[in-house]
Amino acid sequence: MATAEMNGATFEIDEDGFLLDYGAFNENWIEYVRGQEGIDELNEEHTKVIEVLQDYYEKNGIAPMVRVLSKLTKFKLKHIYELFPSGPGKGACKMAGLPKPTGCV
Amino acid sequence: MQDTIDKDPETIAKEVVDEGIEKGLARLTPEIITQTINQVLTQETGARFKAYVETCMRCGLCSDACSIFLSNDRKPQYSPAAKVKQTILEMINKKGHVSKEFLKDAVRISYTECNVCKRCAMYCPFGIDIAYMMLTVRRICHKLEITPLYIQDTVNSHSATMNQMWVKEDEWIDTLQWQEEDAREDFEDLRIPLDKDGADIMYSIIAPEPKFQAGLIYQTAVIMHAAGMNWTMPSFPGWDNSNMAMYTGDYEISGRIAQAHYDAAARLHVKKVVMGECGHAFRSVYDVGNRWVGWEMPPFELVHAIDFFHGLLTSGRIKVKEKYKKTVTLHDPCNIHRGRCLHNKAREMVNILCENFIEMTPNKEHNYCCGAGGGVINCGPPWKGTRMTNNREKAEQLKRTGAEVLIAPCHNCHSGLEDIVHHYELGMEIKFFGDIIYEVMEKTVFQKGD
Repeated sequence: MATAEMNGATFEIDEDGFLLDYGAFNENWIEYVRGQEGIDELNEEHTKVIEVLQDYYEKNGIAPMVRVLSKLTKFKLKHIYELFPSGPGKGACKMAGLPKPTGCV
Repeated sequence: MQDTIDKDPETIAKEVVDEGIEKGLARLTPEIITQTINQVLTQETGARFKAYVETCMRCGLCSDACSIFLSNDRKPQYSPAAKVKQTILEMINKKGHVSKEFLKDAVRISYTECNVCKRCAMYCPFGIDIAYMMLTVRRICHKLEITPLYIQDTVNSHSATMNQMWVKEDEWIDTLQWQEEDAREDFEDLRIPLDKDGADIMYSIIAPEPKFQAGLIYQTAVIMHAAGMNWTMPSFPGWDNSNMAMYTGDYEISGRIAQAHYDAAARLHVKKVVMGECGHAFRSVYDVGNRWVGWEMPPFELVHAIDFFHGLLTSGRIKVKEKYKKTVTLHDPCNIHRGRCLHNKAREMVNILCENFIEMTPNKEHNYCCGAGGGVINCGPPWKGTRMTNNREKAEQLKRTGAEVLIAPCHNCHSGLEDIVHHYELGMEIKFFGDIIYEVMEKTVFQKGD
């Protein structure tokens, strides 16, 4: 089983680097993914995206469409990509602790 | 070729745990296994299958044709002929009496160590289609309900929603309207016309676009608008032209998906269907779905984006403002180049659009698969590590070009190549043709007489 470490915390991850146990999500995980994704600094907009993704995932068991994410955060598509350069499906879902979405992605 | 093939010690060491396969195997009994295998072998295969089984001379020409074989230091068990020997041939010889351990290997080999890219079939002196043999193995695995977990989820989505990413109808329409609004930054009167009866073109795409990559819809809408096209998109299921069921062996669902796509075009009375930049989707309706529903070819024109964009660029409907400057190379997707000979048109487009084109070697119909195709990337995270090992040859091929940008006109290729570029630290940017066209085109509407 692959693991990731940050500030003394250890996380079990899948081979794409997504968190295996959603319940293990915490601040250290965010910090770990920030480094992996090459994001210099996190701001309250990143936090907003993470909150929306988690709230939707907890209710629906799946990541929201980027349209829903845009509606709920009020960020335009281009801005979501500025916040998470590898996109909502890979970067943002990973940071929020969601499993890797299925499909051709 | 040796008679018995030992399992690669490294493969044993990193045995992958896939919940879908494990749970499926636990449910099986020896009777179900034998019955299912024999049902497929006797009732779903015919002369073609028999000829392939009996014709292979074990000459080994298929081996070096397979980039997975090359990526694994030419270990014999990765040769296409050996993949047949380790799976379907054994099932035939043992008359369906095979163990669960055997089946677990058969799933790994057929779903994750073969991209059904048909490069080996091209090099076989007899033209044996080993991809078809591997797909027959997958068909058996599907019927035994031991498909890998992640790809099965996409098929479940297909069967419930007629698209691969659980996109609901209202969310689909909402996404198109949203992108229409955004694209008005480029043209204030731009429309993404829904359900326009009798339009010249129905444009269809794959579900990852509305789900996460909605910007691609925006770009195509701008291109359609600038070219003055009379086009439409369906508001109802049938808009997703992808088909993962074709790759899991679930041919009943696969047929329904293809039918929904054809039905959408028929219901809108369009003259032709233009499909977005995806390879397997094209294969699923131009080569597979048509024969499943009983047609030699679909009864309307059906073209891939390369064909369509090529027409726009060569007819002057889309004009290039300034050519793309960075060095680019082109990845030839198996299903549309080896499968549909679009490689020359793709090259003409690159030269119209870009200043610095570097060919990769091998290329055109001889190109190596991206390593993601055939549903392999869709088997998901459990198989990512082995996929990266199996893609070493592809990574070296990309690296040799030294290009800054890699054009990949296929979604599956795009995602797989991204993984390779990241894993092997190649530092290349990956783009669709649509990305480049949008970037270099003149943003004016074509007028007759231009």
